[in-house]
Amino acid sequence: NNLKPLTSASASFQACQSEKHLGQFYTLPSAHFRPLFPHGLPYRYQQQVKTFNEACFMVRPPALEVISYLKKADYSKPALRYLFYGVKGSGKTMSLCHAVHFCYTQGWVVLHIPDAHLWVKNCKELLPSSYNSARFDQPLQATTWLRNFRTTNEHLLSQIKTKRRYVWTKRESTDEGRPLGELVNQGISRVKSSSDVVGALMKDLRLQSSQPGADFRLVVAVDGVNALWGRSTIKKENKSVDLEELTLIHNLKKLMKNDWTGGAIITTLSQTGSLYTPKSAYLPQELLGETGFDSMDPFIPVSVPNYSEKEFESAYLYYLDRKWLQHPQSRTEDGKKELSFLSSKNPSMLDRICGFL
Amino acid sequence: MAASLSGLLKPWTPRVFLVRWSRYNPYYLEPEVRKEAYSQPESELSAEEKEQRELKMIRPIKAAASGVTSSVFSDPVLSKFINMMMEHGNKVLAREIMTQTLENIKKKQVEKYHKAPEGQKEEIECNPYTIFHQALKNCQPVVGLESIRKGGKIYQVPIPLSDKRRSFLAMKWLITECRDNKHRRTHMYEKLSQEVMSAFVHEGNVIRKKNELHKMAESNRAYAHYRWW
Repeated sequence: NNLKPLTSASASFQACQSEKHLGQFYTLPSAHFRPLFPHGLPYRYQQQVKTFNEACFMVRPPALEVISYLKKADYSKPALRYLFYGVKGSGKTMSLCHAVHFCYTQGWVVLHIPDAHLWVKNCKELLPSSYNSARFDQPLQATTWLRNFRTTNEHLLSQIKTKRRYVWTKRESTDEGRPLGELVNQGISRVKSSSDVVGALMKDLRLQSSQPGADFRLVVAVDGVNALWGRSTIKKENKSVDLEELTLIHNLKKLMKNDWTGGAIITTLSQTGSLYTPKSAYLPQELLGETGFDSMDPFIPVSVPNYSEKEFESAYLYYLDRKWLQHPQSRTEDGKKELSFLSSKNPSMLDRICGFL
Repeated sequence: MAASLSGLLKPWTPRVFLVRWSRYNPYYLEPEVRKEAYSQPESELSAEEKEQRELKMIRPIKAAASGVTSSVFSDPVLSKFINMMMEHGNKVLAREIMTQTLENIKKKQVEKYHKAPEGQKEEIECNPYTIFHQALKNCQPVVGLESIRKGGKIYQVPIPLSDKRRSFLAMKWLITECRDNKHRRTHMYEKLSQEVMSAFVHEGNVIRKKNELHKMAESNRAYAHYRWW
């Protein structure tokens, strides 16, 4: 049985993250799961967590690599950018969530954008921005994201204070030195100014983590970062909106620049949600495009391959253990070979095939 | 008839190759799809097997149907059900619905299993295939009704049904019930999984229909001798 039980002490969690445990699963304590991942996990994985009543991650080389870099990095230098890339369904989002969980156990502030593609398409409400009249606001997406951000960083929001004064309307403003939690609540309650709150929050956290005396580190986790430099399908009065005119995207791009210190930027490419990109594209050059690659340069690309033999074995045994593989033939050697062939060891294909077997 | 004509059937391959569903020359043999048949060494059913193999080396073989696989997971009952659910030849969609149904059943059962206390874990059946087969068996009627005309009047006479007819009726009832009598906004796999789960425990509309048929047959027992075959 290769399930390693995880206690809440971070020391034993650290022990689980070494090369010895490659291919083995570790369980997330339920106390960590609800706050950390209100968003950001793939849908099928969320259903699996609900079915098995537990959240298990497989320890795989790409995530381990990024975690080892995070442990050894010098945080007085500009933030390092990590980019997970790979074919569809190879486990990029899961590696990102693994790295984010590691940062959470270290007590960092987690800024996790579940999918940047959701911000550039299917926008139901587009308001002209109050701060800058040339830009557009997306109140719905901003409020949902702020709510999830509050759930994740509840314990840290009361300790960090704002460094500047923000004026929202003639009668409302947030003074200097107020806890960040107030800023976030302000954004959630006043929907009209929520996108500006998001921008202010990002700026504040960036400035504060750069200061030498900061007592927290910031991790920015963006899934589907190629949306920031792609195209958008949002239309305003039959005219397509340019990406620079959206406040959320503009502020996120400012965060992606490595001119701040005291944290890390972990990102993933994603072709599935992206607009106007061919289905076969998965490399950074193809998905980020010229402008994207130049803005992200220099970054640390981490390739996420399909399962190796050992990892496939491990996943197969996990499903057997959790009573997910029910077909009597799937327990035989022939069945296992067939599974390996049909899924070509792709994690998401294996999950889909084992779903009905 | 084919036996008498077999002398005239020569090894003739047509210029245009035959497609599965047009009439094959009876000269063509059925393909052998199961992997086990090919891994047997020389020492099986000696005379007949060897003769059969010799024949297969000489005679042409029909193309395999697209529904049969040599996969270890293939199930003839399941393939029949998928074919019955298929509309306008959209096998991809029918198969998708079937796999989603099985996954849904398994998900619900495994969730129940993991939440149940230790003592009750063995009683929960998690295998969606056994549940599906058992549910179909539970839906199969024992006798059917046939309209027989005698003396100007039509009587509903109870008759025995063959196994094929019974399984066909069970599958047909399941599909029509899910298509017609459920809320229109639910997905087919959701409706199917609910119906299969209730049929497994002898509840639900299909079981009710089967029982009503049995009652009718029972009440018309007197007319059973009107059957002449």
